[in-house]
Amino acid sequence: MSSAFIGDETAPFFGFLGAAAALVFSCMGAAYGTAKSGVGVASMGVMRPELVMKSIVPVVMAGVLGIYGLIIAVIISTGINPKAKSYYLFDGYAHLSSGLACGLAGLSAGMAIGIVGDAGVRYFSHIFFYIISLIDLNKIFHFSFHINFYVLVFKFFYEDDRVYLYD
Amino acid sequence: MSGSVMLGESSSWSRALVNISPYTFSAIGIAVAIGVSVLGAAWGIYITGSSLIGAAIKAPRITSKNLISVIFCEAVAIYGVIVAIILQTKLESVPASQIYAPESLRAGYAIFASGIIVGFANLVCGLCVGIIGSSCALSDAQNSSLFVKILVIEIFGSALGLFGVIVGIIMSAQASWPAKPV
Repeated sequence: MSSAFIGDETAPFFGFLGAAAALVFSCMGAAYGTAKSGVGVASMGVMRPELVMKSIVPVVMAGVLGIYGLIIAVIISTGINPKAKSYYLFDGYAHLSSGLACGLAGLSAGMAIGIVGDAGVRYFSHIFFYIISLIDLNKIFHFSFHINFYVLVFKFFYEDDRVYLYD
Repeated sequence: MSGSVMLGESSSWSRALVNISPYTFSAIGIAVAIGVSVLGAAWGIYITGSSLIGAAIKAPRITSKNLISVIFCEAVAIYGVIVAIILQTKLESVPASQIYAPESLRAGYAIFASGIIVGFANLVCGLCVGIIGSSCALSDAQNSSLFVKILVIEIFGSALGLFGVIVGIIMSAQASWPAKPV
């Protein structure tokens, strides 16, 4: 009866806690990213409603973090099967560390996505407004292509220098 | 007798853990599953509700539409209730000689981790949905075309609670107690 269980008795504690850490911390990061950039999108959308759908990108990126945590948590928890495969303390600690690695990385990524997404979305509305004021009326035919191109170019060149066009 | 057939507990963590009953861990897991989920739902509801009521003073048209945000937060509490009920049906009584058997210990740890996962995932989900719901109400009061667009963000937020429920239920399937000796 007991020979069916190969391994240390308390190793599953650490293994399951690793799966828990993977999901919980990733969800914390995803929630922070979603909430912080969502607030930025809502604030920006009051002035420029047409940009809201384009600004959902940070929210989607943050949601993906939750999926990463889900995958790792499921992989870990289905790997804890001491009857089929031996499960010693080594395996328990390995699962704990992998869960913590995934979870804490997801937490920090989510916080970064939230802060950058919030600032970027608000910045996006300003830059867009002043690009429109610079565009020559002859280019209305290729309106949307040029706007996107200028936005990308200006963001790329100026985001380091933080040049404000309206000084 | 604990640890009678296993390789000896070489670390002090193990010596402490094998003497704690698996029912302790299970009970704490079930309590955390429902308690912390409801905490997250309540936190989200009060964040959304206070913004909604304040914004509705000047724009009363937003009240009925924005109750959806409150319902999303409430769903988080319902997830916690469902998982707590599922987990408590996984509890089985084992004879006294088997309480500290390795299989029972593992079942106790599985229920504990499942409860922790569901509770804390729902806590952050409720907070997230509450914060977005409050900005949804405020931006809807300014411009009613924004409501549906910010609702899309809220749906992304409420998916986090679902992730917690899925993993919690998958993990609770691992909670198999030892069979009673014939």
